[in-house]
Amino acid sequence: MAKDKSQRDDYATPLRRLLTAVLCLCLAAIFIVWRIDSPRVERFRAQVVDTVVPNMDWAMVPVTATINLVRDFQSYQRLAEQNRELRSELRQMRAWKEAALQLEQENARLLDLNNVRLDPKLTYITGVVMADSGSPFRQSVLLNVGSRDGVHDGWAAMDGIGLVGRISGTGRSTARVILLTDAASAVPATIQPSGQTALVTGDNSAAPVLSFLENPDLVRPGDRVISSGDGAVFPAGLLIGQVAKDRSGRMRVRLSADYGRLEYLRVLRHHGTQVIEGPGGLVGAAPGDPLPQPRPDTLGKDSAEGTAEAGNG
Amino acid sequence: MANTSPARIWTMRAAFPALALLIMFFHLLPLETEPQFWAPPDLLLALAMAWSLRRPDYVPALSIGLVMLLADLLFHRPPGLLALLTVLGCGFLKGRAAPHRESTFASEWLAVALVLTGIATLNRLILSLFGVEQAQLSLTVIQVVMTIAAYPLAVWASQSILGVRKLSPSEAETLVSRR
Repeated sequence: MAKDKSQRDDYATPLRRLLTAVLCLCLAAIFIVWRIDSPRVERFRAQVVDTVVPNMDWAMVPVTATINLVRDFQSYQRLAEQNRELRSELRQMRAWKEAALQLEQENARLLDLNNVRLDPKLTYITGVVMADSGSPFRQSVLLNVGSRDGVHDGWAAMDGIGLVGRISGTGRSTARVILLTDAASAVPATIQPSGQTALVTGDNSAAPVLSFLENPDLVRPGDRVISSGDGAVFPAGLLIGQVAKDRSGRMRVRLSADYGRLEYLRVLRHHGTQVIEGPGGLVGAAPGDPLPQPRPDTLGKDSAEGTAEAGNG
Repeated sequence: MANTSPARIWTMRAAFPALALLIMFFHLLPLETEPQFWAPPDLLLALAMAWSLRRPDYVPALSIGLVMLLADLLFHRPPGLLALLTVLGCGFLKGRAAPHRESTFASEWLAVALVLTGIATLNRLILSLFGVEQAQLSLTVIQVVMTIAAYPLAVWASQSILGVRKLSPSEAETLVSRR
């Protein structure tokens, strides 16, 4: 009996070992292919996420809501303390509100003087956050908009105030946003009063690092950081946050977007930044551009004068 | 006897992926979108190990590999690597399970702790060899420690709630002779 059993084990084990080895080779091959040809595997990942996660969505929303409800109840226990904090914050906010109102009026006046139109190309799609990355090592969220809604890789995602991240991986009905805090995220930015350019590089902490600063002496804590549009990745001029110095003296960005409560994100449609290559491109028409149409003769002379005057005035 | 019937074995083989999907579901809930200073235990890994040490026939390598590959894809990790390391680690533990049938829980825990540490070390080492950006080391260390601490919990849950126990020698005999 014992001999019989060992013989059977001898027969079963090599086959099983072979199968396990084949499985291991497949898994290793997937990893290596991912490292070599990342976009293709990432597209596959987006498809897998796109098939799996929307199936969970019906349960995710109520469970998330319930857990948040329990958390809110816990926070009721510190109600008195919170009330005191809120009152002192409100006092500060009143002062800020006064300042903001004045600034708003001034801003409106200046915009009016300059006749500025904000970029009309920047329209957005709003998506709901369905899921987060699920692991503490990556910082990303899944939105419920995808290629079906015309979302493309590389577009910027904002909450109401500041930049949150960029789209990386779109399925049919889901899109992943890599947050600025992720270790793989780097966004070219400008620091406002000094005009220094830098990269906002995530390192899995709440405040990303400002790296590749040319002259750190010109940058002070409190300066505004906005996206620079270098590398044609993002539209320029999106607010990212404020400069802050950490304990070891490194420059970091305190993000303006409220990362604690990411529920709805705006995905900005971006169709590439227009590149001015030579000094002639700024003045004359580019070679491929259509020439301005000559004025049709059918229009009377009076109306032409009228438009010219209107243009002057 | 009921522990070794084919119906029971196939039910439990299906139960492992189902349980894994449940764990992934709770991981994916968008509760924390801020970076954290600590990492929760990797319950999937603890569960796979607890089951490999108790009933290797419930968790074939293929099942572990596919579940961990799905987790890699969903959790935005480098696909394949952690799945490969888990399959190897669980295979090692399965090999140890038979001779140590009468061993104490402490020695089992020690073996699991060593394998978990090995998996985390190899994972970081290979990722840095391939030049992949990684989160800070402290997070990995915290996760390994938390997983080791949560291992008895996973064992308790699978033994008392799901009934995944080690086979008595006579049951093992019937299982082997039917194969």
